[in-house]
Amino acid sequence: MRHFLDAFRSIATAARSFARPPTTVQFPHEVRERAERYRASFALLHEADGDEACIGCLQCERICPSKVIAIKGPAKRDSPISGKKRSYADDFTLDLSACIFCELCVQVCPTDAIVMTREQEPPAYGREALVLTMAKLYENEKAKTRAWGDGTKLMEMQTPPKPPKPAPAGAPVAATSVASPSVGAAPAIEPTSAKPSEALGVASVGSTSAGAATSTSGPGPAPEAMASHAANSGAAALLNEPVTRTPVEPPEAAPLAAAPAGSPKVAAPQPGDEAGAAAPAGASPTKPEGGTP
Amino acid sequence: MTPLAATVRPRVNPYLSIDALDPEAELMLLHFGPQHPSTHGVFRMDLFLDGERIVKAVPHCGYLHRAVEKLCEKLAYVQLPPIVDKNDYVAPMTNEQALVMAFEAMLKLEVPRRARWMRALFAELQRVASHLLWLGTFSLDLGGALGGGSTVFIYCFRERELVLDLFEAVTGARFHYNTHSIGGNRHDLPAGWGAKVKAALDTIEARLPEYLAMTLHNHLFEQRTRGVGVLDGELALELGVTGPNLRASGVDHDLRRDAPFHAYDEVKVNVATARGGDCYARTEVRVAELVESLRLCRALLDGMPEGPINSGKPTKLPVQTKLPAGQQYVGIETPRGELGTWVIADGSQHPYRLKLRPPSLHALSALPYLLPGQTVSDAIAILGSLDPIMGEVDR
Ligand code: SF4
Ligand code: SF4
Repeated sequence: MRHFLDAFRSIATAARSFARPPTTVQFPHEVRERAERYRASFALLHEADGDEACIGCLQCERICPSKVIAIKGPAKRDSPISGKKRSYADDFTLDLSACIFCELCVQVCPTDAIVMTREQEPPAYGREALVLTMAKLYENEKAKTRAWGDGTKLMEMQTPPKPPKPAPAGAPVAATSVASPSVGAAPAIEPTSAKPSEALGVASVGSTSAGAATSTSGPGPAPEAMASHAANSGAAALLNEPVTRTPVEPPEAAPLAAAPAGSPKVAAPQPGDEAGAAAPAGASPTKPEGGTP
Repeated sequence: MTPLAATVRPRVNPYLSIDALDPEAELMLLHFGPQHPSTHGVFRMDLFLDGERIVKAVPHCGYLHRAVEKLCEKLAYVQLPPIVDKNDYVAPMTNEQALVMAFEAMLKLEVPRRARWMRALFAELQRVASHLLWLGTFSLDLGGALGGGSTVFIYCFRERELVLDLFEAVTGARFHYNTHSIGGNRHDLPAGWGAKVKAALDTIEARLPEYLAMTLHNHLFEQRTRGVGVLDGELALELGVTGPNLRASGVDHDLRRDAPFHAYDEVKVNVATARGGDCYARTEVRVAELVESLRLCRALLDGMPEGPINSGKPTKLPVQTKLPAGQQYVGIETPRGELGTWVIADGSQHPYRLKLRPPSLHALSALPYLLPGQTVSDAIAILGSLDPIMGEVDR
């Protein structure tokens, strides 16, 4: 008897799903929206003046764990745009079939030449079709939506801000931590939420040192180092307050804000990039000024 | 540590030769796998059957061997996190964490507090995703009798997608994230992400009773799992079984609490245990962990500190990170148990030797003890309940 009851209950539970909207989309016809940072394929970019951004420095070839990037070069040539001598990659191929999409090549590129795109390559019949040639990579620049990351942005996101020196160096640091609230907490409640976490930070110094004795596997940070870090972030939290930040900022932030990405450091690329992505979404997905003249 | 006291059947000796068990050679040898859908990967067992009963089971792994450890010796340290992602392909986050933590311990690098909290948050979200997938596939293994085992599977898959969406928003990848680097993380949390996490957690929490109605609270499920595949705590400890499988056998052991890493020294974990040691107990423990992880995610999100996310230099060149000569073992609690990385360095940019200790391998080693005396259909349930991921078993 209980079996039937339970089976019936299961079926009743399942039946509730009929009232829900479908969770899937009809793939080839509809494509779900990808996150901004989604990494699916690659593109090579042009500079603002229309010259190729890649200088053939081989950094990406060296870091690639799968060894799928092959570059001929670098070769020094006169630039067709500016007439100056600079280095180029003679040939650039990326074998997508063995790429693990680790984003390391994007991260190491000194000129932000290689970026990832949010749209996949279409499925192919042969392996040869999965090799992105240089021509294909430059074509992707215009044909596909760019993902968020490029070398500079990824580097900035990871590089720890300089230890807060007096005023001038401090301002960008403050901007960094303000720009990455990220937890979605409204700025208004930030001061209050910062305090308990500070308190936790201090409390944790004791507990870490206690834990370190018993733990062989958890490589806890040195307690004194943590204490200094807590102090640092305390200082940063003070700088966070909009009131103190505004007067300091103008001389620092004005040139930065003028830059097209509109972004002082870390997470600020978010809003800036969103605006950038929204505008050319239809026409030219990559750098608006990227076309060859 | 309180191993299960009372115990069930006398322990079988899985190494007894089949000739001794079957002098007249009347048993049937069934090759189970390697491509059976319930083997969760590519895994083969030789089952010696007396009618429907299993007399002896011999597991064979290695079908998914990709020589990851050898490959790691060829690559530079900074190139390794995306490689180990592929081991436990249901919980890639924790793979990366176990690896980079070993390197950080060697280099005596301090990971910024924000990065440690983010890692803990990622690990907990990954646990939610992993346990959801397990619950789904386990119901599938038990067959369609539970109001449709595949119903639970699809439900769990749907909820797991929510978590993958969250990871996609942070790292840009749904699976193989490469978001940890030596000294911290590579991707900071994007603005507004916390609200999305909360929404996803709420959805999962609201729908949890639905799966439970079809699994834990379902009489049919109970009949299929109670008393099936009882693993006693002492044997589990002997075999090195860790994680939910060990806790389901009544051994209260969880590295998150016993040797805190990440942010677990600041956010306390309530460890779930069960005493049955059977498939039902393993389900109970995983469901309890799922609920606990939802709570932990919220706590981690609320307390997320500000600050830098990386203390090392961002990856630029393969030669940039060289570990001093020496060795280090670091184990962390993944959704499947203790995942260890043992690195032996010779001062160069490549590891001299990198040994991974996958929890699934140890869980599988319990099979020859658990299977004899059970039926073939229970064998599938037992195998599923151990939650092995062949990618990390074979590496
Ligand atoms: S994303 Fe692909 S091409 Fe780039 S480094 Fe990684 S494996 Fe190589
Ligand atoms: S894509 Fe970037 S890293 Fe690669 S060769 Fe060109 S400039 Fe160097």
